[in-house]
Amino acid sequence: MLKCRVIPILTFNGFGLVKTKRFASNPRMVGNAVQAAKVYNSRNVDELVFLDIYASDKNRKMNLQIAKLIINECFMPVALGGGIKSIEDIHDLLAIGADKVVLKNKIIEEPEFINKASQIFGNQCITLAIDAIKQDDGKYYLYNRIGKTLDLFEFLNHIKTHNFGEIILTSVNNDGMMNGFDIALVNKVEKIISVPIVVAGGAGNLNHFKELFSKSHIEAVAAASIFHFTQYTPRDIKLAIASVGKPVRIVEKMYIPKN
Amino acid sequence: MGNVASVQKVLKKLGYQSIITNNHDELKQVDFILLPGVGSFKKGMENLNALGLVELLTEEVVVKKKPFLGICLGMQLIATFGTEPEHVNGLGWIDGEVIKIVPKKGHRVPHMGWNTIKTDMLNEFYREFNNLDYYFIHSYHFNAINPKDVTMTVNYDGELVAGLQKDNIFAMQFHPEKSQDEGMILLRKVLEKYA
Repeated sequence: MLKCRVIPILTFNGFGLVKTKRFASNPRMVGNAVQAAKVYNSRNVDELVFLDIYASDKNRKMNLQIAKLIINECFMPVALGGGIKSIEDIHDLLAIGADKVVLKNKIIEEPEFINKASQIFGNQCITLAIDAIKQDDGKYYLYNRIGKTLDLFEFLNHIKTHNFGEIILTSVNNDGMMNGFDIALVNKVEKIISVPIVVAGGAGNLNHFKELFSKSHIEAVAAASIFHFTQYTPRDIKLAIASVGKPVRIVEKMYIPKN
Repeated sequence: MGNVASVQKVLKKLGYQSIITNNHDELKQVDFILLPGVGSFKKGMENLNALGLVELLTEEVVVKKKPFLGICLGMQLIATFGTEPEHVNGLGWIDGEVIKIVPKKGHRVPHMGWNTIKTDMLNEFYREFNNLDYYFIHSYHFNAINPKDVTMTVNYDGELVAGLQKDNIFAMQFHPEKSQDEGMILLRKVLEKYA
């Protein structure tokens, strides 16, 4: 049976790991990226996401040296995102061992880029970051910092037949708040999108995961704050997900001595 | 592709020297050939054809019986033909077709994530891997004609082929190089059989 994935997200500011609240520009420093990757690998997490969250704002490329150091620590799939603007950028990230690339601004500016990229690299490695923000009018929009006002569901309906492998759906309102997932949002998006969905934004305690997995049909969740600021480990989260009847991968034994 | 670098990283950890190459002379000299690969079937065969590798690999693996492991697309390419995005002949080493996974009951495609493999418990080589989890990521699957070629299966709204073997030809749909310790013990066992 396919297991529900628990995926730590590492957000990077170009120097170290940071954690935002509601995507605000004053994040908290939370440590060293390579060290964190090493710990998550030893905890047998299902997958890892590493995002340079200011690459596009600063008009820079991902630091390939740091990305490579992170990948070298990981024997599970790794997705890299931030500042990806071209086919060449994707090629560079895959060449250092990334399994997936996470696209955001580029697909807002040029949705057709999704198909161009998947035609070359296969849709399995093309992940879209969908950052949803609920505004005061009660409607969801596609969050971005490139000045585009896009209705979230109109955008998703437009791109849903494009060729990509997965989306990471983040609630901007709940990001870093640790007060639960936006399940109404998840339920709407899971009806539109037919590829795997990774839900992010809001995890603060184990009940949040139980609620998400019992009220939706998604099979992957991502989190950051809960790992930085609480005692909970990915294993605790998996046991919580298992307690509501969903399959998870619990690694009990080591087969190969680690060096 | 990313997959190649990851495979090399795991081989190094297991203590094996490896080279990433499409050079014919080098491929004739190596002890073991691994063909990882991500992307479409058509593109994969185009690349092998453009590099003159279809004849060379067939000579080395099928005629000279050099041990071979195909991973993900590398497993699919040894089929008779693929359908991604249209009918394309494969290497034809193991009889079968590569067809799209048709989702039912709300299953999402690609089949992505950790899933449990099943092996034939009478098969001594594979049975220790029964019920272990491996990382899958694919939208097409290998529909094998001869059940005896199938070594491992996975359930995703029906049984899909997860592994194949025919003599010296090994193939895995999942990514052992991305499947942490469980992946390493499986790769090590296949490599140790020959090296």
